[in-house]
Amino acid sequence: MRKNHLMNGVIEDAGERTSNAAALNLRRRAANSAALAAVEQLEPRLLVDELKSSRFLGVESASVTFGKDGARVFALRDVSLAFERSTLSLVMGPSGSGKTTLLSLLGCLLSPDEGSVFVDDVAVNRLAETEKTAIRQKKIGFVFQAFRLFHSLSAIDNVALGFELRDPKQPQRLEMARHLLNQFGLGDKCNQEPNELSPGERQRVAVARALAGNPPILLADEPTASLDAQAGRNICQILRNQVDEHGKTVVVVSHDPRWREFADRTITLSDGQVEQEERNL
Amino acid sequence: MKLAWQNIIHDRGRFSVTVLGVSFAVFLMVFQGSLLVGFLRAASRLIDASDSDIWITARGVQAFEFGTTLESRVREMAAGVPGVMEADRVCMAFAVYRTPNGKQQVVALVGADPNVGKRFPVPDVPELAGEISPDAVLYDVSDRDLIGVPALPTEVEINRHRASIERQIEGYGAFLGVPFLFTSYRNAIRYLGFGPDDAMYIVLRVGKGYSVSDVKQNLQGRLPEVDVLTRDEFARKSRMYWTIKTGAGGAILTAAVLGFLIGLVVVSQTIYANTMENIEEYATLKALGAPKSLVARIVLTQALLCGVVGSILGLLAVIPVINHAKSLISWIYMPWWLPVVMVLPSIAMCSLASIASVRNALTVEPGRVFRA
Repeated sequence: MRKNHLMNGVIEDAGERTSNAAALNLRRRAANSAALAAVEQLEPRLLVDELKSSRFLGVESASVTFGKDGARVFALRDVSLAFERSTLSLVMGPSGSGKTTLLSLLGCLLSPDEGSVFVDDVAVNRLAETEKTAIRQKKIGFVFQAFRLFHSLSAIDNVALGFELRDPKQPQRLEMARHLLNQFGLGDKCNQEPNELSPGERQRVAVARALAGNPPILLADEPTASLDAQAGRNICQILRNQVDEHGKTVVVVSHDPRWREFADRTITLSDGQVEQEERNL
Repeated sequence: MKLAWQNIIHDRGRFSVTVLGVSFAVFLMVFQGSLLVGFLRAASRLIDASDSDIWITARGVQAFEFGTTLESRVREMAAGVPGVMEADRVCMAFAVYRTPNGKQQVVALVGADPNVGKRFPVPDVPELAGEISPDAVLYDVSDRDLIGVPALPTEVEINRHRASIERQIEGYGAFLGVPFLFTSYRNAIRYLGFGPDDAMYIVLRVGKGYSVSDVKQNLQGRLPEVDVLTRDEFARKSRMYWTIKTGAGGAILTAAVLGFLIGLVVVSQTIYANTMENIEEYATLKALGAPKSLVARIVLTQALLCGVVGSILGLLAVIPVINHAKSLISWIYMPWWLPVVMVLPSIAMCSLASIASVRNALTVEPGRVFRA
C-alpha cells in the first residue's frame, strides 16, 4: 500500500510539474516546428545543413559492421543523424535495425568502421580509449533496460557511485545522492538494495545514478521494457522533465509506443538505415 | 573501493567458497611443506646436533645412517693435524632389541663420546651426571610403543647384551620406522661388537684462529682414503641422499612440490572464477566511465582480501592439525618461516590471478551493457 501510495504520489507530483512543463514544451515544439517548416519552404537543403553543422551529438555517414568476410553484416549503413540540445529523441525500429548500435556509438562504447561520431562538438571516434572513457564519465549518463545497478550496494550507494565516478573528490556525494533519490520519490528507500526494490523503483534509482554529476546527455536503452504501464509512464515523465527543466539531451531507444507522446522527434531505423524521421507536434 | 568490500560481504556464499579454496590451498601447502622440512631436518638432525666443525667418514658414505667403520689410525692422525682441537667418535648401527615382554625390534643404536655436542643425546654428559648411569640407554618419547618399556628404568637386551633404558628424550624419533636408541660410545661399541678403537665417524672441533676450510684441506691431504666434510656439507649430503635417492624422500618431495603447485592452481582458479562472476558489473562500471585503474583496484582489492582471509583461516586450521600429526609423524616440523614462505606465494598468486582476470575485466566490451 505504502509503495502504491508513494508511486501515485510521484506520478501526481510528476504530473503536476508536467502540466507546466508540457505547456512550455508544446509551445517550444510548435515554435520549432513552425520555424522548421518556414525554413524548409525557403530552402529545403538548409535543414540538412543545419543538422550537419550541429555537432553537439550525432553521427555522420556512420557505418558499423559485425562479422568477417562472407558473414559480414551491416548494423548501421551510412547513417547521419544529429541530436539537438535539450530535446528528447526516440529511436525506434525492429530488432536488428541498428538502434542499440547507434546508442553504443553515441555513448562512445563503439567506434564506427566508417564515418564520425560527435559528442559535445568533439569527433570522439578519433579519440583514444581513455579519452572516450573521460567523455562517458563527464558528459553521458546511461539508463539500461536491465537497470545494471550494483547488487551489493544500496540505492544511495549506487547513486553516490555515479557522483564518485564523475568526481572522485566530491565529499558530499552521499548527501547529493539522497537529495536526488528524494526528488524521485525514493527518499525512504535509500538504504535498500536493488533486489529489495520494485522494477520501477530500480529504474528510478538507475536514472538517478545516470543523472548524478549532472551530465548533459542521457542515453537510455529500452528503459521501460521491464516495467509495468504505470512505472513505465513514470520513467517517461522523469526523462521528459530532465529535458524541459534541466535542458538535458535525451536519446531513448525503445519499442515502447508510449514514448512518442514524450519525444520531440522520432527516428525509425530499418536494416541499419534511417527509414523515417518525424518531429512530434 | 566500497564496491570491492560490499561485493565480498554481500555474496557471502561466493566469498566463503573463495576463502575456502584459498584456505585449502594454504593448508595443503603448509602441511606438505612441514612434511618435507621435517623430513629434511630428520635426515640430518644428529649431524646438526653435534658442535663439531668437521666430520670424517668412510669413503662414499651418503648418510649418517649408513656409515662404515674407519681404521683406528684415522682418529690418531686427525688429532695430530694442526688446528684440530678435539677428535670425538660417533657410531651408529642397526641392532636387535628385545623388550621386557620378549618382543623383538630392530633399532638404530647410536653411541657418541660425551663432547660431541651439547644437543647430542648421550647419557654420559656432565649435565646428566648423577641423574642416570653413564651407560644408560635413551629413547625418544615418540617411540614409546615400539620400545615397549612400562617404566623407567627398565632392563632390556640389545644384541643379547643387557642394557638399561633410563630416560626419554624428545626430537629424535624414528623417521623411517626404526627407533633410535642412544648411549655412551663405550657402551655402544660393546653392544655392536666393535673394537675399542673402532669408529664410524670422527668428529673434529677446530681451534680458534684456524680456518675450518684450511684444516679440512689439510686433513683431506693427509687422509686421502676417507671423506672429510664440514658439518654442513655432511648434513646437506645426508639430506640430499634421503630426499632424492630414496623412494620415501622422493615421495615426500614430490607430494610437497605437487601440494605447492596444486595450492597455487586452486588459489588462481578460485580468484579467477570470482572475478569472472562479476564481469558484468565491471562492464557496467566501464560503461559509466570508470577508468581502468579503478576497475583494476577493485579486482585486486577483492583478490587480496580473499587471499589474506583465506590464508589466515588456512593457517588456523593447519597449525593444530600439524601439532596433532606429531603423535603419528614425529618428525613433521613447521618452522616459523614456513607459513610465511607458503602464504606469500599464495597471496602473490591471488594477485597474479586477479591480474590475469583483471585483463578480462579491463578488456570487457562496455557495449555489452546494452544486452538485456
